[in-house]
Amino acid sequence: MKKTEIFTGITVMFTVALLSGYLLAQVFKITRVQIEKQKKIEAERLNKEMFPEGVNFVETEQQGLSYISVLDAKKNQIGMIFEISRSGYGGPIVIKVGIDNNLQVKGVRILEHNETPGLGAKITDNKFLNQFIGKTGNELSLRKYHSEGTIDAVTGATISSKAVTEGIVEMIEKVRSLNIASSPYSNILPEEEKNKKMGKSQKGENN
Amino acid sequence: MSAQHKLVDTKSFTSGLWKMNPILYLMIGLCPLLAVSSAVKDALGMGVAVIFVLTGANVTISLIRRVVPSHVRIPVFIVIIATFVTTVDYSLTAFSPQLHKNLGVYLPLMVVNCIILGRAEAFASKNNIINSALDGLGMGLGFTIAIFVISAIRELLGQGTFMGLNVLGRNYTPFIIMLMPPGAFLVMGFLIALKNSIERRGQKNVK
Amino acid sequence: MLNETNLGLIFLSAFVVNNILLIRFLGLCSFFGLSNNVKSSIGMGMAVIFVTVMACSISWAVYTYLLIPFKVEYLRTVTFIFTIASFVQFEEIIIKKYIPALYKAFGIYLPLITTNCTILAAAFLGIDYRFSFIQNLVFTLGISAGYCFVIVLFASMRERIDVSPIPAGFKGVPIALISAGLMSLAFLGFKGLFKL
Repeated sequence: MKKTEIFTGITVMFTVALLSGYLLAQVFKITRVQIEKQKKIEAERLNKEMFPEGVNFVETEQQGLSYISVLDAKKNQIGMIFEISRSGYGGPIVIKVGIDNNLQVKGVRILEHNETPGLGAKITDNKFLNQFIGKTGNELSLRKYHSEGTIDAVTGATISSKAVTEGIVEMIEKVRSLNIASSPYSNILPEEEKNKKMGKSQKGENN
Repeated sequence: MSAQHKLVDTKSFTSGLWKMNPILYLMIGLCPLLAVSSAVKDALGMGVAVIFVLTGANVTISLIRRVVPSHVRIPVFIVIIATFVTTVDYSLTAFSPQLHKNLGVYLPLMVVNCIILGRAEAFASKNNIINSALDGLGMGLGFTIAIFVISAIRELLGQGTFMGLNVLGRNYTPFIIMLMPPGAFLVMGFLIALKNSIERRGQKNVK
Repeated sequence: MLNETNLGLIFLSAFVVNNILLIRFLGLCSFFGLSNNVKSSIGMGMAVIFVTVMACSISWAVYTYLLIPFKVEYLRTVTFIFTIASFVQFEEIIIKKYIPALYKAFGIYLPLITTNCTILAAAFLGIDYRFSFIQNLVFTLGISAGYCFVIVLFASMRERIDVSPIPAGFKGVPIALISAGLMSLAFLGFKGLFKL
């Protein structure tokens, strides 16, 4: 191979790589905004679906437990949204679950899973997920194991159904033991909001 | 491939559809074909992505075919293909996150899809832009047709639905194995056997 | 999740439970092309193990120490395929020089190992699961060993099929696909073998 050939080879390769890098940087810049927007829209849509009356969704952390606190128009906490991960049959199942102040389930969505298509994958169906709505920790168990259970497992997918149910029950029990739901919502508001609120309530007493 | 000397040759387009169909005849590009063919919607998304990348890469490579020295052509082709694939990857994340999630790792893996590099090497590096574009479109369409047929069979038998719509009625008992990996191999095997038998019969008639 | 599991489980999971060929459908081009006889399938399997483990370790390091610090993760696909392509070139030179018989057997498939999805997929999946270096090493070893294992099994099966009477239309590729389907069915039984 002649020296000039090697040189042209390197030049062409370098130019192509440079152009490709530049183009991809542009693509990334353009799409990133849209990707962030999509993610936000999707998360908000799910939150709104569980709590139609919710106005503000604030990311919060209390006693090592992070969740989204749902506030209504008067800034009272009306519920909490958690994301939990649990091993299913084919890998981790990521579950988003909303509960109200009485620890009753408001809605369940499966965010990620790797269950068998046609069997375990049916845990994403509303037919299965809607069974959880309006129930709380001790009422949630598979009918297959407990005669007083209220949840029908997906046919042929007991392990997947059990993972979702147990994940939710465990989470609710944790919230109950940490006593987060009954704690005053003002804990989770930013400092200034808290002050404003205090001022208001004092005024109320004066009246 | 006699398109070498003609400016526009319709054969560059039509050969990919049946006779030289990349899947059924050349037996290349199988990975995405089998992996994302359990639902028609995802399959069509994959098909469109392949058409876009194949045509784009073919045109670009044909455009620069005289500039690139032959000893660096393969790496140059790969970089060009990877650029197109990454563009599709990020655009899908931005505008259709659900489809992007369903296609998963198979979308970036389009870089090593033998159809794309194969056509770049065998056709686009030797032919003019118009014919290369037609070849890309034809081969891409051939791939899309094949993946559409396979996914339609798998979805219909495995779930009784087509594009998510219930077709076979409520009483249909799904043939779940079709949705799982073995189903893909089986459907594909029977399809190729069918194509072979049709051609065998055709040959007999000629004789 | 996956991070907390021990290396044995990572290996087994990549080796049989999520077998790269039969469950994930990757690396199929060379699978059907090279499984005609046992000898060449062993050669290809070994080549894949070698390239996968080495190339994926390199691309893991490139991703962790170059792409992330400079915030250019979007160059992932381009960089990985480049690392792999250069590595294959290197391996080709070595085999050509020291094991010419093997080189002859591979024929056109050795350059094609670049476009063997197994390697790139192993690189991507290792990053997606956020493995540490050692975990990544074990994982890629599991994936490529799974590839080797299945391609050799399959080749021995095909040698038997070749001499069996089968319907004319099914000869060659179709019967290979159907046998692969049946093998895949058997491997499906490993799913749920243990929890990750």
